Amino acid sequence: MAARLLRTALLLLAAMACASAARADRLELIRARGVLVVGVKTEYPPFGMLDGSGAIVGVEPDLAADLARRLHVDLRLVGVTTANRLEKLADGSIDVLIATLGDTAKRRKIATLIEPDYYASGVTIMMPAKRKIADWTELRGQTVCTTQGAYFNRPMAQRYLLDLRTFNGPRDAMLALRQGQCVGFLYDDTAIAGALRLPEWHDYAMPLPSLLVSPWAIAIPQGENDGPLDRIVSDAVADWHRSGLLMALERKWQLKPSEFVRHAHALWSARDADGDYTCRRSADGAWPAACGEQEHAASDHPDGLERLGAEIRDLTGLDFTIVYDAYDRGQFLHGLMTALALVLSCVFGSVLLGGIGALALDARIPLVSPLAGAVATVARMTPPLLQIYIVVFGLGSILVKWGLALAPFLAVTICLSLYAGSACAVALAEAAELIRHRQPEFRLRPASLPLALRAAYQPVMAALVNIVKATGMASAVAVPELISSSTAIMAERGNSSVMMNVLMVVYFLIVLVTIWLFNRFHHWITAHVAP
Amino acid sequence: MSPHEIVEALRTWTPFLAAGFGWNVIVSVAAMAIGTVLGAGLAVARLSHRRALVRASLAATALTRNIPTFVFLYYLAFVIPVEVQIGPEVYALPAWVKASLALAVAVVGFVSDNFTEALRHWRARNPAEALMFIPNWTSYFVVIVMASSTASVIGVDELVSRCNTVIAAVDNPDLMLWIYLYAMAWFFVCCFPLYLLMRQVKASMAHRLPKHEETAVATLAADA
Repeated sequence: MAARLLRTALLLLAAMACASAARADRLELIRARGVLVVGVKTEYPPFGMLDGSGAIVGVEPDLAADLARRLHVDLRLVGVTTANRLEKLADGSIDVLIATLGDTAKRRKIATLIEPDYYASGVTIMMPAKRKIADWTELRGQTVCTTQGAYFNRPMAQRYLLDLRTFNGPRDAMLALRQGQCVGFLYDDTAIAGALRLPEWHDYAMPLPSLLVSPWAIAIPQGENDGPLDRIVSDAVADWHRSGLLMALERKWQLKPSEFVRHAHALWSARDADGDYTCRRSADGAWPAACGEQEHAASDHPDGLERLGAEIRDLTGLDFTIVYDAYDRGQFLHGLMTALALVLSCVFGSVLLGGIGALALDARIPLVSPLAGAVATVARMTPPLLQIYIVVFGLGSILVKWGLALAPFLAVTICLSLYAGSACAVALAEAAELIRHRQPEFRLRPASLPLALRAAYQPVMAALVNIVKATGMASAVAVPELISSSTAIMAERGNSSVMMNVLMVVYFLIVLVTIWLFNRFHHWITAHVAP
Repeated sequence: MSPHEIVEALRTWTPFLAAGFGWNVIVSVAAMAIGTVLGAGLAVARLSHRRALVRASLAATALTRNIPTFVFLYYLAFVIPVEVQIGPEVYALPAWVKASLALAVAVVGFVSDNFTEALRHWRARNPAEALMFIPNWTSYFVVIVMASSTASVIGVDELVSRCNTVIAAVDNPDLMLWIYLYAMAWFFVCCFPLYLLMRQVKASMAHRLPKHEETAVATLAADA
């Protein structure tokens, strides 16, 4: 049965992976719908942020508006995050990405990055001002908060042996920093400088020099390079440098003048003896090499396994980085172990709370039993994801005032155990009620719990299987489990169909094994517990 | 923040959050509609006389029962394209449609099992038992409304995701707990009365049926 199910699942997944449709030229698509869809940040003041009315404003929305004007179409802004921005570009949700995207060789493989670059930033760390630190090497082995999909995560983790805790967005990562879950927050220096201007961060600082200074590029979908959209956007960026638009936007949004923008302005407005721009397209449409940024291609030296992986990728288009790349493999295996630990602790917690809850419900003690009933009702009649947010962020922000921190793993375990435990408790109590129809003297006691469990086996098992399926929710609060690690790898590698299929199959197997174990337990309990 | 300020802030954002809850309802209704049609089809196939059809339907039902909805949500979000161009027309596949499809998978399994049961009773000229399907189905709708909150992780603009928008816009850590609690109250107030009502309906329907105790244990599977 299990083998057949698995085969059906694999076939289904394979069929879906093939379902991505071929697309026509992007520029035609944009003109056909009359709207340019641009992905921008919403949590990166002043480059992209929400104003009081919920609209997205900032430097990058202004640049997007300029692009739409040039194309004579309307503009729609879509908020993206560091983790999902390249995915949104790849899946067609957005036409153009202007979202503080660092220009790296790896990203050039999964998207078309526009030349010239339009801005630049490096990575640094935001820490409590009272902490004195002089060198990056002092951070070795320390827990550092960061955001998913940032280009610097991997080199910084490898070079300085940082223990990274990866969050979905800067809001969550900064909250974790405040709660003391990590010693510092690793992020773009431009963004940290923006945050440090706010009064609530006055006792924080960026004590270390910026590293990995990287220019920012606008991105358009892969396969659009040298196409009409590439050319229009590229001309627009060159024009921004020449006209000084970027410097004007720095003044408008009160940014510290950037060395990169000043330099690019001088470079792109320089003219040769004939009065033509020195940076102009040659006959084949390319910009002169001197007008580009420094060499992007960091030369890789692949070992045997990596070469094999690269060959498979070139041959089949499937990029199994989790097999041949040691860093990705380690990240994925760590995710798997965390997911399994989460499954075990949630099942254990649910059974424990379910048993205690059932005893409390059935004992008919004034106050205690009604209270247990109320808790069980609220836990079952509200979404577990919201419960997790409330415990991690809501209670977390209160606990931090007393100097306490709540580990997200523990918080998720408590919430999910309460959710499933309530369902178990109610089922056990109802089963006890039914047993009483036959045996009026029956009372739920620790010793008689197995008897009730035998009667309530189906609903209890359903609740436990459901909680195993729901453990993925931990990814919403940056527990580094399977979904977190898979999306982090995807964000960097652009191999979403491979990662998603692997994730789906692995989770499916976890569910199957769980059900198999429960069935074994069922056989045991029917054989050993007499009704 | 004083209690007065908190109440004032929640009041200001209520229309915005309420519209978000509208999306929860839309996603849930769509999921129930898709899942019920497909699940009922599987149920009919399960009672067919052709062995192959029965086995295929059983395998499909087992598959839908075991797919983790939350992971499948991510799966659909990343693997299915967002826009398909057929001829000159551009068809959008927005996130809420994908969320409905993901949630519908759980509904398919539920309806397949429960509708098979109902059909058996119906064919055995036992209509009162068969009609138990209706309160069971409605109770499951409550479960799906709660599960629709997970659509926020793939960017559906529903209540939980609007809470996060409000929190980012207000930028006051003190308000965070209250906004989430407020959203929780929304779900509770909308789901709990419906759940109680269905329990009442089931109890009064069961009252008119011949007694069979063991199966009466609540089987509301809290699918997350």
